[in-house]
Amino acid sequence: MTFENLVERISNERRQELSERLLDALLEAEDAENVPSSLAKTFLNDAHHDRLASEAGLTNLLKAVEAADPNKVAVILGEFGIE
Amino acid sequence: MKGFGIEFVPMEPYWRTTYYSIQAEKLGYDNIWVTDHFNNRNVYVSLSIIANYTDRIKLGPGVTNPYLVHPAMTAQSVASLNEIAPGRVICGIGAGDRTTLNMVGVEMKSPLRTVREAVDVIRRQIAREKGEYEGRVFKTSSGARFNFKVRDRIHVYVGAQGPRMLQLAGSIGDGALINASHPDDLAEAVKYVRLGVEKAGRKMDDIDIAAYTSFSISVDEKKARKATVPVVAYIVAGSPPQILEKHDVSLEKAGQIRDDLANRRWGEAFGAVDSNMIDSFTVCGNPDQCMDKIEELFHTGITQFVTGSPLGPKIRSSIDIFGREILPQFRER
Repeated sequence: MTFENLVERISNERRQELSERLLDALLEAEDAENVPSSLAKTFLNDAHHDRLASEAGLTNLLKAVEAADPNKVAVILGEFGIE
Repeated sequence: MKGFGIEFVPMEPYWRTTYYSIQAEKLGYDNIWVTDHFNNRNVYVSLSIIANYTDRIKLGPGVTNPYLVHPAMTAQSVASLNEIAPGRVICGIGAGDRTTLNMVGVEMKSPLRTVREAVDVIRRQIAREKGEYEGRVFKTSSGARFNFKVRDRIHVYVGAQGPRMLQLAGSIGDGALINASHPDDLAEAVKYVRLGVEKAGRKMDDIDIAAYTSFSISVDEKKARKATVPVVAYIVAGSPPQILEKHDVSLEKAGQIRDDLANRRWGEAFGAVDSNMIDSFTVCGNPDQCMDKIEELFHTGITQFVTGSPLGPKIRSSIDIFGREILPQFRER
């Protein structure tokens, strides 16, 4: 299942909360240099335009967290009922 | 006038610093200052990308120095940045810090004259002034003019800590960036800035006086204090003897910290930082404690409060706390 598919399963009410959770994981991850620059710029564009909690924004955040701290993705998604 | 700035040290990947800058702008900060040290990411690369992802906030080096970068290059850099972010560029310049300059064998010679002439050169270059500049430290020929025009005014702030540099800031700066966090130090610093202002026949309204503090905020006071330790070690290492003695910091201890830092003995350097040093050289604590301290600092005569490194135990959370709990209280007044 793709990240896009997973994000679709998150209710609108919880998307902001998920974006906050992913943001913290991304900003605190030890292997930040593993995030490709192109993805980082997409993330910054989303942040600049207040789109982090949108479907596309959440998908990009998931991809970035996967790059920086792969183990965290499953943990966070699990908190939101997505296995 | 009460302005608020934030300092970023580009130690992390560019996108983290840029994200925090976006966050700071959205929360209402006025200025971003990015530090310039050769062992971190380049200041102008950092500023360029921040400029691309922000719209309103002012930004600039805080501070560059004329020993490692010729002021003609600083002028070029800030003028070029102004094309990306018109009207939003500020330029902080100071003598630098000896610890870092020593690492690359550069001596801090004649800091007052060097900074004064650097500011002259920067302004002349930005204004595309004709003719030569014949300083004792810097010289530019008539052929050194920019090949492009700079449409906006770029305010130059002088980074200062000692009495004479503070007076220089008052006499020639559009602003002063004062490396201090304690109200006693800032009150005294403002007096020297005022002396410089008066000697130059200027008015205090002409100059933006910024307290460039070491800052740390958290809902947990202990965590806020602990986060300041590495930065306080550098501050102690770089502070002049008279400042250290004023705050009952042993010169011997400061010298040992300096030596440990220069030789990357981080554990020893940070382990020597004590509670008195944290109280003397930072503004830190929970939101109420920080609010009280910031109010006290504005009463010393400063017009801008800069939340400098480390910001807090978790940067995003700390910027958020400051932006939501501290800033609005000042904006309402």
